[in-house]
Amino acid sequence: MKSCLIVDDSRVVRKVAGRIISDLKFEVREAGDGTEALDACRQQMPDAILLDWSMPVMNGLDFIRALRREENGRKPIIVFCSTENDAEHIGEAMRSGANEFIMKPFDADIIESKFAEVGLI
Amino acid sequence: MDESVYSEIAQIARKGSGQDIPPTKSYLIEARLATLLRREGLSSVDELVHILNSRPDSKLAGEVAAELTSKKTRFFDGRPALERIVQTVLPDCARRATDGRVRIWCAGGSTGQEAYSLAMLISELPQDTLGDVQIEIVTTDICEKTSASARSGIFGHFEIQKGLSVRRMLTHFTRLETSEWQISHALASKVGVRTHNLMQPADGLGIFDVILCRNVLTEMTRPARTQVLLNVARQLSDRGLLVLGEKESAAGLIAGLEPSRAFRGGYMRNVDAGELTIAA
Repeated sequence: MKSCLIVDDSRVVRKVAGRIISDLKFEVREAGDGTEALDACRQQMPDAILLDWSMPVMNGLDFIRALRREENGRKPIIVFCSTENDAEHIGEAMRSGANEFIMKPFDADIIESKFAEVGLI
Repeated sequence: MDESVYSEIAQIARKGSGQDIPPTKSYLIEARLATLLRREGLSSVDELVHILNSRPDSKLAGEVAAELTSKKTRFFDGRPALERIVQTVLPDCARRATDGRVRIWCAGGSTGQEAYSLAMLISELPQDTLGDVQIEIVTTDICEKTSASARSGIFGHFEIQKGLSVRRMLTHFTRLETSEWQISHALASKVGVRTHNLMQPADGLGIFDVILCRNVLTEMTRPARTQVLLNVARQLSDRGLLVLGEKESAAGLIAGLEPSRAFRGGYMRNVDAGELTIAA
């Protein structure tokens, strides 16, 4: 079973996304910000990461840059998931090492479509 | 919904678009007619039926039938078939083209995602794959409103994220202040949009080298399916290819139409266009 780490400071978003991604047959873990996510990755590197942009302590962009420097840190497929939906922000996320981008709000169909796009399902 | 109201509407759908709405799917009627009811200031489908009965053969009946058809589509739906068409079939067509152009028809193309997906794939072909040949894509839908939406090339927050990678979104679309996304002028200029009922002859649209008619026949009655197949097959060029949806088949419906050997799920004429007939 593939694993997915959901990183978002909103518990509601984590629950909603977690349910959708579990239905796609992923083992789901959660983190509330970038540092928690980095700890989770050091314990066990996930196959996929659904990553929010603005979070306290460490935001999504800083997390990607830090993760990509870690051992095996290039392995996870990172799908950014953010309300920063203009072309510049999306471009910046992609240049920082994200593999796909979901604009919030999302539904199950969008997550499935984007996961398929990057070959996770 | 009252059974007589359902039967009246189901009859209008069969007559207008060939669509088969079985009783188990009567819930579609209220969902798909909601906008039209609001526009006409009507409070129920029941009222709509009364108005239709008092003005038989009105333009409204046609609109009702058009609104009832499925508009469901997404970018790159059935992607392998689209990729094969662009990467294998079009280069072949381009080599054979005598008038410098290759024409593609997305029949029942709803809001245009299929046509624009083809345009994106074509734009990504290595240079010179198609030589100097111009590719012209026409997408048609029975519904005027749907065609207008396709013509605008504008897609909402949810539509733009279904089937489309963010890389292609950024390459081919611009974000509007409304948070919608608009297709680039370069791609829009390759796609023509027309309103057309597939139950009617399509001579006016011209001849096509590739016709996609995918997931349109599924919801039609058998006689309508046959009529639509005949109408579209008559617009195929001599070595033209008709592509249906993955779960659709033309087997046994049209005499003179045979499965393509080169393209699985595709069909070609083996008689002159004028000799195509409904199979006995």
